[in-house]
Amino acid sequence: MAISASDIRSALSLPGPSAPSAPQSTLRKAQSQSTSNKPANNFTKKPEGISRELYALIGPSAPSLAAHLAKPRLKQKPNLGGGGKVKWEWRPFKNGARGDSLRLSHWAKEASDSDAEYPFVKYNIQSTPFTYSQDEYTRFLEDRDWTKEETDYLFNIVKEYDSRWYIAHDRYDYPEGPVRTLEDLKDRYYSVCRKLIRSRPWAGDESSKAQFLSSYMFDKEREVTRKGYIASLETRSQAEIAEEEALFIELKRLEQNERRFKKERDELLRTLLGVDSGLPDVIGEEDGPAGLVGEPSSASVKKKKGVKGTIGIGDEVPTTPSVISLGPPVPRRPQSAKSAAQDAIHCIYRSDPPASSTTVQKNTHVPAHLRSFKIPLPKTAIAPKVTQALTELGVQHARLVMPTRENCLQMEALLDAATALVETKKVVDRVEQETRVLRVRLGVRSSEGAEGNEPDDVEKEGDEGTPMEVEEGKEEDGRAQSVVSTRSGRGRKQSRRSISVSSIDTSASLSTRAGMKRQKRS
Amino acid sequence: MAERVRVRGLVIHRPVIYGNTATVLTPKERESLSFPDHTHRWTVAVRSAASATDSDIVGGADDLSYFIKRVTFKLHDTYTNPTRHVDKPPFEVSETGWGEFEIQIRITFIAESGEKPITLYHHLKLHPWTTTGDPEIPSLENAIKLGPVHSWQYDEIVFSDPFQSFLTILTDHPPTSLPKAKRKPVPFHVANPASLEASKGGVPEFTTEMEKEEAGRLEAARKAVVAEQERWRGILIEKEKELERLQAQLPS
Repeated sequence: MAISASDIRSALSLPGPSAPSAPQSTLRKAQSQSTSNKPANNFTKKPEGISRELYALIGPSAPSLAAHLAKPRLKQKPNLGGGGKVKWEWRPFKNGARGDSLRLSHWAKEASDSDAEYPFVKYNIQSTPFTYSQDEYTRFLEDRDWTKEETDYLFNIVKEYDSRWYIAHDRYDYPEGPVRTLEDLKDRYYSVCRKLIRSRPWAGDESSKAQFLSSYMFDKEREVTRKGYIASLETRSQAEIAEEEALFIELKRLEQNERRFKKERDELLRTLLGVDSGLPDVIGEEDGPAGLVGEPSSASVKKKKGVKGTIGIGDEVPTTPSVISLGPPVPRRPQSAKSAAQDAIHCIYRSDPPASSTTVQKNTHVPAHLRSFKIPLPKTAIAPKVTQALTELGVQHARLVMPTRENCLQMEALLDAATALVETKKVVDRVEQETRVLRVRLGVRSSEGAEGNEPDDVEKEGDEGTPMEVEEGKEEDGRAQSVVSTRSGRGRKQSRRSISVSSIDTSASLSTRAGMKRQKRS
Repeated sequence: MAERVRVRGLVIHRPVIYGNTATVLTPKERESLSFPDHTHRWTVAVRSAASATDSDIVGGADDLSYFIKRVTFKLHDTYTNPTRHVDKPPFEVSETGWGEFEIQIRITFIAESGEKPITLYHHLKLHPWTTTGDPEIPSLENAIKLGPVHSWQYDEIVFSDPFQSFLTILTDHPPTSLPKAKRKPVPFHVANPASLEASKGGVPEFTTEMEKEEAGRLEAARKAVVAEQERWRGILIEKEKELERLQAQLPS
């Protein structure tokens, strides 16, 4: 650590050894003259951006180098925005997301359009509140731990607090209900939503449904475990933390050691056996992934063999299989991707045969058929209504222009949706009927009791008491309503399914045909 | 017989069309017939879906006899020999007549397929298409002006888990794919009445565009149904609430 005086001097850019000046002025003068010559060679010329030590080594004889080593300067700032001053002004704005008429103001650039829509409106997204009917509840949503009333209460509170779960949980107070944790609430809410999404017809395609469904995923077990972990992490004592760290360091050290051992062993193998060792040339920490990508299994298998065969380093062997186990990526996909085009040309559609059912399949061979024969039929009871609903939409059930696989699937989905619609309407009818009956009974009761506290209500009941009125009200509601209310004899259509499937005649031409035949026979 | 092995999990289909073309006979032609009351000449056929580039018939680009052994057309009983077997391509029957009726078509496959024959029906169409589906029959003079009537149904014959030997035969004859864009008029179909205008003016041809168009229509319909369903669910829920309210009043 000996630092010579000249070092210090040069570091401080002091003018040479003259500093510890002797009292003798003459001597000083002479010396100062000599030093004034010396620095002229030595460090007055030292260019900027080159360290003192380096300069001392290379000396002044490397001017070209010095030019390169010049201290890099910051790039000039790009001139953005024209440099002019921007005027801001305080102006009121209209927030389209507000329901009330409250006007707030904000700072805006003077140049900006004052009528422009508030740009943050689009972030005011309402979550889709799920509601369910009694019918849906009894069919899909019943749960031992939850009553319908409490589920209703939960959905209301979640809606009220806009899915802010902590608040919803805080305010959650269902009278006489069991104590619910936040996870209980979430679990119930999301599971109900998932069931509803699954059971309802979906307007988009399958993938968007799956995506939507996955946004309602909630794993209660996992959430509880996760919170447990966090809690235990928080409650560690100082000593425990220290121990953990020590263990971690120890682990790292062991890993490092192992790697070194492995490297050395491979090195040794290569030196002793050369090519026979079967080791790939590049061996190191990165050999795992590299080996997997490059030569999938043969190399690593060979390696394993080599290790086992030559030297039995017992505890080292397990490390290699762990690499191999990651190895066998099933090479099926590229093949099928290549032949997909081929399949399309030959009109081939492959599906993975169910694993266990080879024998079963033999018995239930699907015979050759026309594609359009396989379009499903709606349930007999509601078939006329479904057909009518589709006709109103301009779709002829069981008749497609191009009954390809995709279109048949589309048709199936459409039928499902229409069936669900008709069923919903049926339930509406039933509920309406029940309401009507109840109204009448209530009306009777209240008039009998002569309480008559709600005379308006009674009158209204009287109005709606007649079924005719209700029917009319429904008619007004629009097109689809007529599906329910009109009762048409459509049974005929359904009975001659085989005809309508296979031929493109119209019902109109059907009637002509009948006429024709009669003529022919006569 | 090692070839008698089914290829599991594989479904292969062949696009076909079946239907008829009808033209009105001129008075001169009618005189030369043995049945003076016959007004139309028609041809009923089973063909491959794609049309040959320069043909004047609908479909028929491929010879289907590589997998079809015989097509039997069962005509109206008033015809002599109403059951017509056609064992060689083209699989079609031409006749004259004056009335529309249902034709039973039975397709028998080659022995290698190991499949039973399939039966389908076609309604012989002689009179021009109308949007309204009116049963009115235009006068013959008008019908002549409108030109030949085409009534064709596209479909796909589907073979599930075919025998290896049959599969080989099929893959040796890949079907001509349908043209992507419309080059000729669209074949009219009652499931798509809007296509009436586009179907006029010559020999129609099936295209993949028609398939896409139909998929679009179906999807639009499904969206409409789902939207309607949403609305009705809302109505239902409200009605239920009302019912609940009433029920709450009842026991009191």
